[in-house]
Amino acid sequence: MFNEISRLIARQFWSSTFRSGIVYPILGLWFLMVAYAAYSGWESYTTHNHIRSHYQQETRASWENNPDKHPHRMAHYGSFAFRLKHPLSMFDFGLESFTGNAVFLEAHKQNSVNFSEASFSTGLLRFGEISLAMLLQVILPLIIFFLGFSAVAAEREQETLRMILSQGISWKEVLVGKSLGLAALALLFFLPVILVTLVLLLFSEGGVLTTTDGWLRFIGIFISYALFLVITSVVTVLISAASKSSKGALVKLLAVWLFLIVLLPRTTQALGGYVYPAPSRVEFEADTEEELIQIGDSHNPDDPHFNALRDSVLSVYQVSSVEQLPFNYSGFVMREGERISAEIYNRHIQSLHRTYQQQNRFTQLTALINPYLAIKTVSMALSGTDFTAYRDFQQQAEAYRYQLAQTMNELQMELISNRAPAPGEGPYAISRAYWSEFPDFEYEWPALRWPAPSGIATRGGSWSWIVLFIWGMTSVGMLTYTAKRVKVF
Amino acid sequence: MYRLLTKQVLRSRSTVIVTLFVLALGIVSVLMGEQFLNKQQRAIDEAAHYQREHIQQNAQWHADDLGLLLYYLRFTFINSFDPLTALSIGQRDVNSSIQRVTIRGLEGQKYDTDLHNPANLQVGNLDLGFVIIYLFPLLIIAFTYDLLSEEKEGGTWRLVASQASSPLLYLGYKLSVRVGLVYAVWFLLWVFALLRLPLSLNVNTLVFIGLSGLYLAFWLALCAWAVSWQRSSSFNALSLLSVWVILAVLLPASLNSLLANLYPVPEALSTMVEQRDGYHEKWDLEKETTMKSFFAEYPQYQKYPLPEANFSWLWYYAMQHMGDAESRQSSEAMREKIRQREQASRVAAWFIPPLHTQLLFNDLAQSSLDNYLSFLDETEDFHEKMRLYFYPKIFEDASVGKENWESFTPEYFAETPEVDWFLAFAPLLLLTVGLFAFAVLNARKLKALE
Repeated sequence: MFNEISRLIARQFWSSTFRSGIVYPILGLWFLMVAYAAYSGWESYTTHNHIRSHYQQETRASWENNPDKHPHRMAHYGSFAFRLKHPLSMFDFGLESFTGNAVFLEAHKQNSVNFSEASFSTGLLRFGEISLAMLLQVILPLIIFFLGFSAVAAEREQETLRMILSQGISWKEVLVGKSLGLAALALLFFLPVILVTLVLLLFSEGGVLTTTDGWLRFIGIFISYALFLVITSVVTVLISAASKSSKGALVKLLAVWLFLIVLLPRTTQALGGYVYPAPSRVEFEADTEEELIQIGDSHNPDDPHFNALRDSVLSVYQVSSVEQLPFNYSGFVMREGERISAEIYNRHIQSLHRTYQQQNRFTQLTALINPYLAIKTVSMALSGTDFTAYRDFQQQAEAYRYQLAQTMNELQMELISNRAPAPGEGPYAISRAYWSEFPDFEYEWPALRWPAPSGIATRGGSWSWIVLFIWGMTSVGMLTYTAKRVKVF
Repeated sequence: MYRLLTKQVLRSRSTVIVTLFVLALGIVSVLMGEQFLNKQQRAIDEAAHYQREHIQQNAQWHADDLGLLLYYLRFTFINSFDPLTALSIGQRDVNSSIQRVTIRGLEGQKYDTDLHNPANLQVGNLDLGFVIIYLFPLLIIAFTYDLLSEEKEGGTWRLVASQASSPLLYLGYKLSVRVGLVYAVWFLLWVFALLRLPLSLNVNTLVFIGLSGLYLAFWLALCAWAVSWQRSSSFNALSLLSVWVILAVLLPASLNSLLANLYPVPEALSTMVEQRDGYHEKWDLEKETTMKSFFAEYPQYQKYPLPEANFSWLWYYAMQHMGDAESRQSSEAMREKIRQREQASRVAAWFIPPLHTQLLFNDLAQSSLDNYLSFLDETEDFHEKMRLYFYPKIFEDASVGKENWESFTPEYFAETPEVDWFLAFAPLLLLTVGLFAFAVLNARKLKALE
């Protein structure tokens, strides 16, 4: 479809843009913004990961340095999980600033993940964040509109369009040529960003580019954005072709930008929150606790579930009191209590996240009319900074917490006497050797799951991925369609 | 003349659509704010209800051990909100307005976050503050960018200039019609907000209204100034929108990442770790060490002898308190970092009108970071009050049944925001007057037959 004439028109569009000179200050400003965004991304990634891995190591050392003690004391001493940023978060911050970073892991209790960047923010964060991805998603479309709004409309105003068409050049060749020229310009802005990202990744700790997973993510990002920029360029040319004057084209394009990028996401997200209200923390905890009391609360001394459990254990071992059991009974009770409460909590948190997904669905649906939202979702998923990635951290942390509590309960069952210590006798303790036997918390990035990366594998993610491709096809199809319909004046 | 000019504005279909659109979003934003208030109120009611049930239940379970009962009991402390919060939700959605704390170590409890959908937090709230700060400038740009150029490009300028007594006056008329329309939309939205929300017309509300009006004046002056350069419509549209992007998106966002990188807060993590260690390590130390530091801070409890047994509540709560005592330094360092961020953004805001307006809106609506920090401070006092009330009872092993548990209802913190009038209005006023003066100066050079 790129015949010689289209290529000629593209080249002519490119050189006339450069002749007008307007592109130089924009390019200069762009490089400045890219440099700043790259610096911020790098700085934030290295600083935070340093701080967090420092504390992860420090808390591990203090865990291992605990003296001999009762295992249940260790279960309460607990541990911490600090969320490490994915190297690609240098490119796309995603939801990073709005998700918690540190969680205290202890027995009996699922603590909240605290200290999100947003909680330290003075309100500035609400104006958005500058990241390389944000520049590509928000600012570059605006630049493409600036550079391309008059692509066809100006030719029409200056009556050169009639001349071109009368020379036997087809509408399709004009539209394809102009789109090609504009997309090439967009590429000029895009390539430095990709190169800078590549350099950041190559020099960063965490070595994401030593893995296939990292390369696949990087290439995925490259292709998705290239597609997004082609779509933006084609839409610009089409709107320019459909407008009587370049002023009209510009105003339309700016309205499109404002509507799709500033207004629509906020409105649909608000709508989602309105239609699917999520519980507050108080409500969530009250519901969880209520269910716990119904099923069996080990903190209630007269809980029917635990009374029945005691009776059945006693009859199985054919003893008359728990002191005669061959294992530590309170360890056994705590193991059962932990199992029940963790199960209830997981069920409730899953249902909460389903509610969040429902809230987000409105926004994801509108990707059909808004390619910006499609690229935003795809980009976050590929950069490991979307909600799925955060969920994954939470799940790993909770799994570790559960394992920690249950290991300590089992040590108690096995090694702690059933008889209360006599007066004057110190509290029971087990050897500190058990502490270092218990493994450290090591967060693992969720890997790409082919054919779709994690995050993209969620319904919202794969949906956005598909929508982006549909947009790509449609915009190219629209070129042919418009070429048949459009009028010279 | 005014009637004709008004008709001319209203004849343009796109102008009418844009106006109605902003009006509709403004109404939606007020409703969103109302919904936010309702949600907050519901959460508060739930917390009160839950507290009653929770205390009753636990008092029954642990009827013979006051120390154990207070290990579990959580007391609610609420950051009460002003109806103005509905108009500028600010940090209220990120930072919880409800604290539920036990009398154990506070540092491990007070930063607990509410449950959020991070995607909601990321796109931000659609409140009236957003409509005023973001959308009204766009409405103003759409109304004014071709004020003069449409006449020139449409070929009517010569006609106008030759017939009007003063072309400048004619432009003034045209501009004032648009100013009138913008403020009419603004006025309607305020009427709707005042009718719909339980707002009282106190000083804060009036300052809020005045500030929003002045903010619009700033944008009108800016647009008038841009128009006075007599460039083409396309040029004006492009440059005004670029200014909007720079002022409302790029500068605040760059500043945000700058501050975040300049003032990272590792102290948050060290507070968390030190609190845990400060308390837990006491289990492995001689009891006397803990008691000595505890009694140094609270000599009034020295009269309670430490029981011989392995475990006693006096020792336990002293250990718990040591967690807070030993993490205090980090906690204060964290506060200091956040305060630095706050200060830096306030200074920068003088030069960035959208940011300035946003921060002041949040102050007035009690939804600023500052408000949250005061709430945290008050939580500390509340926590101490509860501790000091229960400590002697626990140490004396008072009876659970004798306490009037019904009387423990949630307590409230209410901030009275104080806004420095001069700092609130001066930067905007100065910019507005300056820009408008430049615009008039520029336009005086305007010749009809150029």
